[in-house]
Amino acid sequence: MSFGTMITIFLGVALVNNLVFSGFLGICPFLGVSRKVDMAFGMGCAVTFVITVSGIVTWLIVHGVLTPIGNAIGYAEALYFLKYVAFIMVIASMVQLVEMYLKKFFPALYTAFGVFLPLITTNCAILGTCLYIDMKPETQHLLNAAIYAFGGGIGFLVAITIMAGIREHIRFSDVPKCFQGAGITLLVAAILALAFTGFTGIGK
Amino acid sequence: MADENGSNLRQFKEGVLSNNPVLVQLLGMCPVLAVTNSVENALVMGMAATFVVVMSNLITSALRHHIKPHVRILIFTLTIATFVTIADLTLKAYMYQVSKQLGAFVPLIIVNCMIICRAEVVAIKNGVGRSLADAFGIGIGFTLALLILGVVREWLGSGTLTIPGLEPFHVMPAAFTENGHNWVIMILPPGAFLTLGVVVAISNQIRARHAKGGAA
Repeated sequence: MSFGTMITIFLGVALVNNLVFSGFLGICPFLGVSRKVDMAFGMGCAVTFVITVSGIVTWLIVHGVLTPIGNAIGYAEALYFLKYVAFIMVIASMVQLVEMYLKKFFPALYTAFGVFLPLITTNCAILGTCLYIDMKPETQHLLNAAIYAFGGGIGFLVAITIMAGIREHIRFSDVPKCFQGAGITLLVAAILALAFTGFTGIGK
Repeated sequence: MADENGSNLRQFKEGVLSNNPVLVQLLGMCPVLAVTNSVENALVMGMAATFVVVMSNLITSALRHHIKPHVRILIFTLTIATFVTIADLTLKAYMYQVSKQLGAFVPLIIVNCMIICRAEVVAIKNGVGRSLADAFGIGIGFTLALLILGVVREWLGSGTLTIPGLEPFHVMPAAFTENGHNWVIMILPPGAFLTLGVVVAISNQIRARHAKGGAA
C-alpha cells in the first residue's frame, strides 16, 4: 500500500465523493443540526469518530467472522445475509460504547457532544460508509478501510460546518415565506453540491 | 366498528397528504434525494420502503404488549433490518438491474428515520388495524413524494419516463437529448437538492393557503 493510494482514497471520499453532496448520506442531521456553527462542528466531530471506529469494526466482522465461518461451511458468502443485521448491531453498540467511554474518561467532551451521540445510531452516513467499504474493491485492506471511513467523516464535518456558517447568515435575510426552513436550506445545499462537483477528477 | 374504520381511513389519508413523511415531516430524506434520478428507481424504492414499514408496523403492534420499553429501539431496529434483508434479497433475485442502481440505498432503509418513527409513534401504542392503516398511508405518501421528484428529474434530465418492465417512454422530442438541450444537472446531485427544495416550498405554500382557507 503506497502513501499515494491512501491520499487518493482520503481525498476521493472527503471531497470528490463527499458523503452529503454527492452520496446523499446523513441528510437528516445535515438539515436538522446545521443551525449553529458550534453545534454543527460538534456533530461533525462525533460522526467522524463513530464512523472511523464502526468502519474498522464492521470490516473486521466481515473479514474476520462472516467470511471464515462461511469458508468453513464451504461457501464464502454463506453468511452474508447476516451482514445488515450485524452492521446495525455493531453501530448501535459502538455508539453506546463511545458514549460510556467519553462519559468516564473525557467528561468535558461528553457534555460538549451532548444529545448528538445517541442520535448518531440512525445517521445513515455511518451505515452507508460501512456498506460502501464492504462493496468497494480498494478497501479490501484494513488500513484503506480505516482511511476511507475517516475521510468520509471529515467530508461530513466539512459539509455540515459550511452549511451552518451559511445558515447563520440566512437568518438575517428576507427569505420568501414558503421557502423558510427546509426549502432555502435545500436550495443552498444545491449550490454547494454544484460547487463540490468542481472537485471531480482530482486524484485520477 | 364504523367509527374504528373511519379513524383508520383518516390515519391512512393523513400519512399520504397532511402528514406526508417527506414533504411535511422531512424524514427519510437520503433515499428521496439519491434514487429519484429516474421514475423506475423511485417507484421500486418506494415499494421496498412501503413493504418494510408495513411489516415492521405489523410485527411491532402485534408484539406491543411483550416489548419492554427499554429495549424497544433495539427490537424496532432488528425487525426493520430483518425485513430490509428480505426486500434486498428479493430485489436482487427478481429486479437485478434496478437493485444494482439503487445500490447501498436498499440496505439503508434500515436507518430510515421515517420507519422507526412510525414504530415509535404509532405501532407501539395502537392495535394492528390502525398500525397497518398508518403504515400503508406513510408508505404510499413516501412513494408519492419519490414519484413527484422522479418524474420532474427524469423528464428534465433525460427527457424520458421509465416504468418498470417497459421501454423508456420518450416525453420530449428526440432533439432534446441529441442536441444536448437536456438539463444534465437534474440527474446529478445538485438537481436533487434543487428539486426537493422547490417541491417542499410548493407544498408549504399549498398548506399555508389551505390552513388560511380552513380558518376563514
